[in-house]
Amino acid sequence: MIQSILDGILTGAIISLGAIGLTLIMHMLRFANFAYSELLAIGAYAALVFDRLFSALVPVLDQAFAPLTLTGALALSMVIAMLLTGLSAVIIDWLVFRRIRQKADPLSMVFASFGVALIIRNVIVLIFGHHAQLYSQEIARATILSFDPLILIKPDQVFVLALALVLMLALHLMLTRTTFGFALRAVAENPALAQVAGVRLTTVIAAVWIIAGSLSAAAGTLYALTNQLNPMIGPVFLLPVFAATIVGGIGSVYGAVLGGFIVGIASGLALLVLPSGYAPAMPFLIILAVLLVRPQGLFGEDQR
Amino acid sequence: MKRHILGLAGASALAIGLQTGAALAQDCSVNVGTLYPTSVDWGRPIAETALWVGEMINEAGGVDGCDVNMILRDDQNDGRVGVDAARSLVDIDQVQLLIGTVSSGITIPILTSVTAPAGVMQMSCCSSSTRLTEIAASGEARGLWFRTFATADVQAAVAAMLARDAGIESITVVYKNDDWGQDIGRMAAAAFEAVGIEVHASIALNDAQPSYRAEATQALRDQPGALYLALYPTEGISFVREWLGLGGTSVMIGANSLRSDDFRTTVGLANLGDFVGTDTSSPRVPSAEAFVDAYAAHFGSAPSGPGLSNSFDAAAIALLAYHAAGRDATGAEIAAQVPRVTDPDGEAIPATVEGFARAMEVLSEGGSVSYQGATGAVTFDANGNVSAPAVSWVFDDSGMAEQRYISLEEVSGFMASIN
Repeated sequence: MIQSILDGILTGAIISLGAIGLTLIMHMLRFANFAYSELLAIGAYAALVFDRLFSALVPVLDQAFAPLTLTGALALSMVIAMLLTGLSAVIIDWLVFRRIRQKADPLSMVFASFGVALIIRNVIVLIFGHHAQLYSQEIARATILSFDPLILIKPDQVFVLALALVLMLALHLMLTRTTFGFALRAVAENPALAQVAGVRLTTVIAAVWIIAGSLSAAAGTLYALTNQLNPMIGPVFLLPVFAATIVGGIGSVYGAVLGGFIVGIASGLALLVLPSGYAPAMPFLIILAVLLVRPQGLFGEDQR
Repeated sequence: MKRHILGLAGASALAIGLQTGAALAQDCSVNVGTLYPTSVDWGRPIAETALWVGEMINEAGGVDGCDVNMILRDDQNDGRVGVDAARSLVDIDQVQLLIGTVSSGITIPILTSVTAPAGVMQMSCCSSSTRLTEIAASGEARGLWFRTFATADVQAAVAAMLARDAGIESITVVYKNDDWGQDIGRMAAAAFEAVGIEVHASIALNDAQPSYRAEATQALRDQPGALYLALYPTEGISFVREWLGLGGTSVMIGANSLRSDDFRTTVGLANLGDFVGTDTSSPRVPSAEAFVDAYAAHFGSAPSGPGLSNSFDAAAIALLAYHAAGRDATGAEIAAQVPRVTDPDGEAIPATVEGFARAMEVLSEGGSVSYQGATGAVTFDANGNVSAPAVSWVFDDSGMAEQRYISLEEVSGFMASIN
């Protein structure tokens, strides 16, 4: 029980990171972006490329920070991957979504996002292949916190949780303490009014994509660090991330964070009540329950 | 926009016209669908082996004098992709014969929703689910279904035999939650119990989960003496790394699906010292050894992955039957000719270009042959099944090595003793 909750919190941290970007995008551009979770894959693979590059060029960086399996090379690669993924998100928006936004309705955007997802996924398969990749071949050994009940935790997972929380805190400070954060929230509230007040819409949209892209890249890299990396990381995260966004309420950053933890913990606990074959239904059940009881989500504004 | 569509239609009509014109101008050819997971590391050699048989058949004169055009599609080991690809082969390429695929979870929907309804014959190299036996027995497959791979109960029984011999007292079964995994997982659990091994739990792993940590934790709760893994490499890697990281036992028995370099390198050879795998095998007969030599000569390395000899025989038997049925045969007509290719009383023919040429000659004259293939002298039962001996294998520095050969008699005897 305690172990399941603990595992859920750790998985939840990654889902939360992914959901923050999605909730901002969905709220600001008002469409369900099914290509969103592919940003996690872009980020994780970008980190892989730079990790290999740095490890080869500067062998000193290839030392893991014990007891983590994280190396200096990977830490550096993650930062670069965050920037690159942010940029890719802007480019994808510029190439596809911006054009459709100007001409067609939100439904076309949804369909386009499916197409974009397929393209990204298959390009990754073309370049990297279907097989699983790892940043480190080492298996991270768990530390035993308690024998009865048996509670195990991996140092990597604690690091992932800590880093996710730091990133969320940074975003929170930016949203609440900077002029840019105000502009961003203003656009989310009412794009027309924000423009009247002198906020450049295109700049804000680009900024949101960059934020969403970098947080996703962090989520993807952290996930690959604690699990493995394969091209299916996008579809794997699609459902949990959407569930977290809907649970939290579209547009609410804090809702997305909470939603991520709820989905993570519920999926962990699901195995205690459901046969293992049915446990993946948990995110669906959560979405259904939230939509039935509180359609606007936990933190969402009532738009009726 | 409308004009565009019309233009496009015109262009494609023209292209089709040109294509038929070209086809008429040259010699005839028959389209054969080949569907394997070519983009997966263990799938590519299986597909290449099938294509190689196509080349050999063409060298021997082709199907009923026509060149075989093996149209290869990738199912990506994904059910949705596989069914779509099969549909395109059947509907657009108009094949009457589909060779494929590996995973039972994909083969079953293709058989029940694409090939059998369309009357197309399907021959798989590697699908081992007993669910396919039920489908064939119920008549749903309309006699169009064959496979050159023994059903999963052989592997399940051999896993129990290995566990008993290794003195394992308790085990937890972890299986992939698809047709194949449920099937082999259930049979393995029954087999373990039949030899007196306590089965703590059977845990299903679903495809594409963000993490298998919860499942690993659940398995750890019982502190089993060993794990039985009926998984594919993708979830196998994830689960086993999680399991070992949590301090679970390294004593593992795995199905042939884990016979993959990906699994070996990603989990790490150092962690797989206590791992032993099961697989069905070719009998130790000259024709099987000849295949190994021919394969090494053609591809430059010995056949080491799963399903290669089965893939060879699946393609060879199917194409010889196609030849016997004639170039314009329907799927049902091809299927009806399979017994003439695998007739134990027929003339024994080896799996070489000369052998294929001789077989075609005999078949054209109305005789029957006994195909001596990479998996020995293949014969199908009423449900399109074959039986086979088994091996146990381990991971080593060079890849995967056979540990022990368990003959057909030994396998059958053991299976009879536990049932």
